[in-house]
Amino acid sequence: MDAVEKANAERQKRWVKDQKVGEGTYAVVYRGRELATGRKIAIKKIKVGQFKDGLDMSAVREVKYLRELHHPNVIELLDVFSSKTNLNLVLEFLDTDLEMIIKDRSLVFLPADIKNWMAMTFRGLEFCHRNSILHRDLKPNNLLIASDGQLKIADFGLARDVADPGYKMTCQVITRWYRPPELLFGCRYYSTVVDIWSVGCIFAELMLRTPYLPGESDMDQLKTIFRALGTPTEEEWPGHTKLPDYVSVGQFPKTPLRDLFTAASADTLNLLSRCITYEPRKRISAKEALHHPYFFALPYPTHPSKLPKTAAQTASSRPLDEVDGNVDNTDGSGTSGVKNAPPKKLKRKLSGHDISRNIARRIDFTAS
Amino acid sequence: MLQSPTPHEVGSPKKTPLFQSSTQYKNWRFSEEQLMATRTTLNEAAVAAIRNTFESDSPGSSSDIQFLDAHEEHLLVKLYITKISQLCGHFRFPEEVEATGITYLKRFYLKNTVMDWHPKNVMLTALFLATKTTNHPISLESYTSNIPRTNPSDVLDLEFLVAQSLAFEFAVWHAHRAFWGIWLDEISQAPPHEQLQAIYDTALQHIRTSRLTDVELIYPPSQIALACLSLSHPEIAASWARSKHADTALEAIESIKRTITRDGDIPSVDVVREIDRRLKICKNPEKVVGSKAYLLKKAKEEKEAELKRVRKAESTRKAAEQDDPFGEELAGRANLDDDD
Repeated sequence: MDAVEKANAERQKRWVKDQKVGEGTYAVVYRGRELATGRKIAIKKIKVGQFKDGLDMSAVREVKYLRELHHPNVIELLDVFSSKTNLNLVLEFLDTDLEMIIKDRSLVFLPADIKNWMAMTFRGLEFCHRNSILHRDLKPNNLLIASDGQLKIADFGLARDVADPGYKMTCQVITRWYRPPELLFGCRYYSTVVDIWSVGCIFAELMLRTPYLPGESDMDQLKTIFRALGTPTEEEWPGHTKLPDYVSVGQFPKTPLRDLFTAASADTLNLLSRCITYEPRKRISAKEALHHPYFFALPYPTHPSKLPKTAAQTASSRPLDEVDGNVDNTDGSGTSGVKNAPPKKLKRKLSGHDISRNIARRIDFTAS
Repeated sequence: MLQSPTPHEVGSPKKTPLFQSSTQYKNWRFSEEQLMATRTTLNEAAVAAIRNTFESDSPGSSSDIQFLDAHEEHLLVKLYITKISQLCGHFRFPEEVEATGITYLKRFYLKNTVMDWHPKNVMLTALFLATKTTNHPISLESYTSNIPRTNPSDVLDLEFLVAQSLAFEFAVWHAHRAFWGIWLDEISQAPPHEQLQAIYDTALQHIRTSRLTDVELIYPPSQIALACLSLSHPEIAASWARSKHADTALEAIESIKRTITRDGDIPSVDVVREIDRRLKICKNPEKVVGSKAYLLKKAKEEKEAELKRVRKAESTRKAAEQDDPFGEELAGRANLDDDD
């Protein structure tokens, strides 16, 4: 056996597949563990044999970028090995994703919870952008949540390096509801702020608990956006009518964000509006966003371990809380305090949390 | 007491320079001595293994064979680096693709030997993989149909092996990118120089030459870029380094300049042809499709795989039985009953 094959076999032995947890068009996902430590992992088995051009592009991109990126808010690629004609990506195991949390009607989100999810998203994204990597498929479904509450950006199958000025990129990226208007207009030169628009849509979705701009087709997507934010003027977004696929989809008046997000703070709405600014050059960057007053105003972001969790997550969460010194263990429910819990039962030791919870009662978006 | 976390406190990452957290920095930089040792070790192991194969086939048959040494292997690889450049010119691939393909080829032969895998094939696969990892994919069909005497399977069969040899670390930091950065810096701050374009062209030429050498396996791309600028125009390179308070880099780049000048030549075709002729005799027979040793090895692998399948089926069956709440015991009793 060749040295390279031997090394591959050695790597393969480190990991055990336990159970199939999902199957997609190009990959099967297994839950598994590291043999030596028992640590939970996920194995994404990519079928390579079926592609006439060999290793397919989404697998290549995913491996290329995840091999380089190491950050608490980006999913960790632990290992890669091949078995027969399959490529196996060993990833850290994550219990759930933001979409499942948003859809779980039993969970109540506090503004402080949303603030930390946003902070973690921006932190992970800033790291990608600092490495000049565009994600190009941000949506709640691709923001995974670890058992300790940490949010991790995942699925780099559409990612690419920022192109040099003058080099075209495809505009057929980003899931429609999260796609910025410049891509819908066929813009082939774009930058990191395409991801920011997606984050803005996710931000709004966290408050509304339902997708903010759910267009039914690419054309309808533009209409949906303009209906929500008003048709852009030439002054607001210079040159947009000259974009390759520009079409006029009608005139819609501007309605203030405040009309829809009735309970959000001024800082919240300011950051949201900076994410979904039409003119890409004026849209906020991930780095600027991390310095936005929203993150420094009360309520402070919820500690990751105390963020709302789905039932599945609560069941599997490790007792991380003990190190935290900020947990009410008297009811034995540990971190699940947020979930389903009537406000009076919440016993908080820190007044800071009391404040945030009180504000939260007033700004409750679940009714929408 | 405890404070509520702000966005900067929770899990805030230490900011290491980007290059220093790259796989290239961590796994693909060596000293000249390490490179030499790696190649020698690989070569010796391959020679021993192949000699063994020959001997087990017919004793004494390996005594006349002139095996390649590490230096000769390296010369052959070097020639195929120039072939990548030719192909890239033919396909009009961007510089990024060419540089990446060349890096892959070099890295591959830090894990493998030409006596197992001929660079003629590996080169094609490395370049094809590079088109994909640099986001300039073309279909395999249009790739191979433009290369004489090449079938899709010639490229695809090795793709996994190449990717594995690269440890699936596809991202490469190139000197020409670093050079572009220095250049943008330079033209924005230096007094206008009438020969700017010529200086640029010459420096870029040195960068292309540097790809024939080992410098990218030893030095960071920024230093190689500065060295090439210095080869083209020492004063501009020096003034740029000083403006960045990187005077020490100027000393470091001297050895890069020497290596590029010393090793940047294209190996003579006659010498390489002779190496290739000997390679035909001493290459690993286990890798030659259809040869006796190849068939033997395949048969052995097949046998092992079969054994593994049987073992797996056995354990699956056992597991299934154990899972059955009534399984084994009842079956046992049934047997006893039969005996009665």
